Amino acid sequence: MLEAKLEQAALLKRIVDSIRDIVQDCNFECSESGLSLQAMDNSHIALVSLLLGKDGFTDYRCDRSISLGVNVGALTKILKCGGNDDVLTLRAEDKPSVLSVMFEDSIQDRISEYNLKLMDVDQEHMGIPDTEYSASVTMPTAEFQRIARDLHTLSDSVEIDVNKEGITFSCDGDIGAGSIVLKPSSNIDRPEQSINVEIVEPVTLSFNLKYLNHFCKASGLSNQVTLRLSGEAPLLVEYKLPNGFIRFFLAPKIGDDEEA
Amino acid sequence: MIIASDDEDELDNSTSSSPKTFKSSSKSSRKNSPKRIAKVEPPVPSLQLSTSTSKRPSEDIINSKDIEDSSTLSEDISDQIPEGYRDSDSEPDVSVSEIAEIAKLPHELANKCPFGPTWKKGQPIPYSSLTNVFETIEGTTKRLEIISYCADFFLSVLRGNPQALTKVTYLFINRLGPDYEGIELGLGESIILKAIAESTGRTLAQLKLSYKEEGDLGTVAQISRSTQSTMFKPQALSVDNVFNDLKAIATSTGSASQTKKANIIQRMLTSCQGNEAKFLIRSLEGKLRIGLAEKTVLIALSQAFVSWESENSGKKFPSVSIVKGEELIRDAFCQVPNYGVIIDTMIKYGIFGLPDHCTVSTGVPLKPMLAKPTHAISEILDRFQGEEFTCEYKYDGERAQIHMLENGEIHVYSRNTENMSQKYPDIVEAVKVFNKPDTKSFIIDCEAVAWDQETKKILPFQVLSTRKRKDVETGNIKIRVCVFGFDILYFNGRSLLRSSLKERREVLKSAFQEVEGIFSFAKYVDSSFLEDIQVFLDKSVEDSCEGLMVKMLNGVESGYEPSKRSRNWLKLKKDYIEGGVGDSIDLVVLGAYHGKGKRTSVYGGYLLGCYNPETEEYETACKVGTGFSDADLESLYAKLHPTEIDRPRSYFVYNSASNTQPDVWFDPTMVWEVKTADLSISPIYTAAASFVGKNGKGVSLRFPRFIRIRDDKDVTDSTSSEQIAEFYSSQVNI
Repeated sequence: MLEAKLEQAALLKRIVDSIRDIVQDCNFECSESGLSLQAMDNSHIALVSLLLGKDGFTDYRCDRSISLGVNVGALTKILKCGGNDDVLTLRAEDKPSVLSVMFEDSIQDRISEYNLKLMDVDQEHMGIPDTEYSASVTMPTAEFQRIARDLHTLSDSVEIDVNKEGITFSCDGDIGAGSIVLKPSSNIDRPEQSINVEIVEPVTLSFNLKYLNHFCKASGLSNQVTLRLSGEAPLLVEYKLPNGFIRFFLAPKIGDDEEA
Repeated sequence: MIIASDDEDELDNSTSSSPKTFKSSSKSSRKNSPKRIAKVEPPVPSLQLSTSTSKRPSEDIINSKDIEDSSTLSEDISDQIPEGYRDSDSEPDVSVSEIAEIAKLPHELANKCPFGPTWKKGQPIPYSSLTNVFETIEGTTKRLEIISYCADFFLSVLRGNPQALTKVTYLFINRLGPDYEGIELGLGESIILKAIAESTGRTLAQLKLSYKEEGDLGTVAQISRSTQSTMFKPQALSVDNVFNDLKAIATSTGSASQTKKANIIQRMLTSCQGNEAKFLIRSLEGKLRIGLAEKTVLIALSQAFVSWESENSGKKFPSVSIVKGEELIRDAFCQVPNYGVIIDTMIKYGIFGLPDHCTVSTGVPLKPMLAKPTHAISEILDRFQGEEFTCEYKYDGERAQIHMLENGEIHVYSRNTENMSQKYPDIVEAVKVFNKPDTKSFIIDCEAVAWDQETKKILPFQVLSTRKRKDVETGNIKIRVCVFGFDILYFNGRSLLRSSLKERREVLKSAFQEVEGIFSFAKYVDSSFLEDIQVFLDKSVEDSCEGLMVKMLNGVESGYEPSKRSRNWLKLKKDYIEGGVGDSIDLVVLGAYHGKGKRTSVYGGYLLGCYNPETEEYETACKVGTGFSDADLESLYAKLHPTEIDRPRSYFVYNSASNTQPDVWFDPTMVWEVKTADLSISPIYTAAASFVGKNGKGVSLRFPRFIRIRDDKDVTDSTSSEQIAEFYSSQVNI
């Protein structure tokens, strides 16, 4: 039996919005400690890992671990039926065939309840490697989103270069090239505007911009985003949640295509 | 524990063609830092390192003995080893070191004994084992070898997982189900290219370039070096998931189905290793091109079943029984063209139980009997000397097999056993009219012919072919059809396949009644005099028929032989005698299509057109791809390649919307003589459109064939639009 209450439906709405371009079907794992999810896109290029600890919920109860196989598109449709400020409650039996989603609008005394049919999602669990990253950059989410969006108008891939000076995003496309340099800075009045660069050794890697733009859908969830890079390991893009995180991993592009 | 970490490098090398994975890329990072990418302890409590392979015994051994290097290594092994070798239950003597040995040489192993690995009962069959067989078959042109490869593979499927044989068979013949179910992939090149682009990170332009070089999308997919690394290595494909995914692609409809299809393809491609991508793409394109005929598959099936049964029963079958089995399967397939049913029957009742358990039944279309062409009446007399035979009109329509089930359901099937009930709801309704009350169930063979209700005359095939194909409503049908019945194969629960034609004709007449404009019996004459046949032939042409069908009337040989092009049925067509359109036509070469497969690096087909002196424009008339020798193709390429132009000349008149636009256009320099079966109205081609005057539709050549280059003619001397229009209107029947 699962019963999880969120003070604001907006949180789950934003989370689901941010993953729906990447993942079609996935399993939400509910355990005593909270709600988690791990899924890859069709091409196995990107991986989403979500953790929403039980303290992030107003009420959370889960006696036995259950997996909720969900079609993300369908879940989005149902979540659209609720307002951002509604209180949201998720319910499921121990061996559920449906997930019940309830919205309570305290102002208008309106209660709506929807049942989402669950499905068997065949999914392997991936042990996410505990990489020691060579570089870690924290910046405002809006900044990151803007960079990804602007560069995507020029090219499909971006080269990210981190060194002591800062972080450089650059791309080279058919119509021209572009690059953005961010230097470390700290803003005491508004700490969320700070840019923080930690570095063990310089890293340069290329990534698919389409995916980075998908990740940026999570911008509404947090003020700051952290990028971690290392060798040829996947890029980690992390958004902190009130009591958990949403992490996106993106495998780098490799080699130069000589025909390019 | 014998596996040393050195082995690991070799393991990785052997997969160097495959996309870099998270795992392998992590190796380089390990050089820098001691961290391992796939640690046994998961970083997050709820995220366990347990790929589905972890339950396998071999891995358990490794895990328990060598925690240090285990996870990366064992995963590598499980990617490499053919399924069968992983079962320590079935092969207890295979030590871990042997596993490693085998794992190192998956390809050599495959070449030595492509079908060696058996997989444990009930285990899914790895798709790679199938593609390895394909690869081997592609490498030879010897039919006997191909048969034995297929048979060996089928046998190992039977031993390990007989239920999967149907799917395996369908993958071998590259179909998704019996023809009459009509499940087709129908994927365009562009969607496949898009999926390859997505999963390899290459751009469409690069892919198209290498497609032009290779001429085969499958090879392109295989060699497309991935510029995009992936996260975890996906699970290996199994025959089961490939087949189901293909079916899912074929059956997905509605909005966003294109995206859905692309997603499935992308997912499958990502999981592909080695030659899997090549054959997967070819399967998606609907052509395996490995020189594997369906007939060969049938023979191989027979061999596999005979050996399997002799293994199971301990009996030795004489080698003759393979030939016998082959016949039985072929017979059964003619009567029930559904591999699923046949294979299940064979598994259940054995191959020799087929005749008793696999017979004609309503609702399952059987392959129609076909006729051999003849060119003169004298040939017919030679063939049927001293025999009783009959001549029937050969109606120019669409072959149709009408089934009525016991429960009153009516189905109409095409020549290719596709369900046409949707296309001919009027026939479905007509059955009630011409059916006699005592007729409860039947299968009749007939020809559906376009019918002019006012003049009560047969209309030519071209008229019939303009009928809508889908969502036809009886109320809106503009082109009526009349059904001409000529044979009955099944009547009130009884198969008539082995009855003589004379008997079948009696049954047919007793079961149905003629209704003008709806149902008629095919006209016939039983005569063995040359003059009579000649008169009848002329009459048939006058009556808008194609010619005559001449059939054995009595005796064993007059039975209905499904799907056989039998010498007991001969067809005598008017154009066989006259040789098509009397004059050949001289057309200008306007464009060409890039060759594929065998014709890679030369043009595979050409776009021809005629010259219209009035407007001084060239109008397209047909695409031609037959009649060329290999030498022709090369010399034509050499001659025409320099005349390629970037875009069509402003004085080319062509259908810009249609996808028949050629890959390259030429400056008009060359005139070819082509022959054609006849001319028809076409929405795609523009020739003589101004003369024929059918809403801008032009005339095109049906079945054009290249004869020779007309060096003596200048491009403006080619057959003119006006002449084409004359040819068209001078054809009989129009």
